Amino acid sequence: MDSNRSADPVLAPKKPPAPVKIVIAGGFGVGKTTAVASISEIPPLRTEAVMTSAAAEIDRTGHVPSKTTTTVAMDFGCITIDDDVKLYLFGTPGQDRFGFMWHDLVVGALGALVIVDTRRLDDCYPAVDYFEKAGVPFVVAVNKFDGMLNHDLNDVRWALAVSDEVPLVTFDAREKLSVRDALLAVLRKAFSRAQTRTAAP
Amino acid sequence: MSGRADDPDVSLLRPYLMTSGRTKPVDHTIEIEAQVMTSNLGATSVQNLTFERRDIISLCRRTMSVAEVAAMLKLHIGVARVLVADLAALGYVVIRRPEAETPQDLRMIERVIRGLESLR
Repeated sequence: MDSNRSADPVLAPKKPPAPVKIVIAGGFGVGKTTAVASISEIPPLRTEAVMTSAAAEIDRTGHVPSKTTTTVAMDFGCITIDDDVKLYLFGTPGQDRFGFMWHDLVVGALGALVIVDTRRLDDCYPAVDYFEKAGVPFVVAVNKFDGMLNHDLNDVRWALAVSDEVPLVTFDAREKLSVRDALLAVLRKAFSRAQTRTAAP
Repeated sequence: MSGRADDPDVSLLRPYLMTSGRTKPVDHTIEIEAQVMTSNLGATSVQNLTFERRDIISLCRRTMSVAEVAAMLKLHIGVARVLVADLAALGYVVIRRPEAETPQDLRMIERVIRGLESLR
């Protein structure tokens, strides 16, 4: 069924690697680009995508605009996993208004890392909501700015109203291994989710 | 009025002019992380191509994603998708798209975990 989705070996001496991705979400200035930069093997790249979409479904203000156009800056990087697999990290603003274009970014993602700044918890609500509804496995990662944690993790969990099933970790977006561990938490969550689904009849 | 050919501000061009007004790629579902690699045919046909297509063929001698193509050539993602899909339809690039079942693929997830664990 997927034969037309793969590279044609006749045309090329070798096959491009299989791409996989993890989405990194959160409010502005929360550390998404820093996290991507810490672990990516290429300097983070930015692409600006103009998104036009019917916004009626997400607009809760009562207006029903026929179309909304937004320019969204997306920072991304990548990590070579092995000879045949490349992991992409896409950082995207988690503001409410952009929710409608996430589908494009999120479809096929292994999972998502939602970065929060405990001083501005509100900023990550739309991302948490979105991933919950979309059924994407995600982990909430509290970025320790200057090594400080302003709130107890249990308070953060309570404030975000996420279930106990959602892993909550702390990390430092500036530290490569710390970012790696946060991504590993996402992948372990993705693994157990996939296991549950595979086991289900 | 007409002597503006030397104007370096290419942003005066509407982005979709490059795609001849089409916004739907040949395959409009191509993912932003899909890998793009110049084929032998593409490498030998580079002379016949116009600017953006030629740039993509040159760039993708080293395999990269649609998103990287867009970022490096300063194209909107939508435009990069159209151009890459066109080049793929012509056989000038080979694309490898993500497998739809990857999020449920335990072996793939395990593989990515192992790869990340080996990062130091």
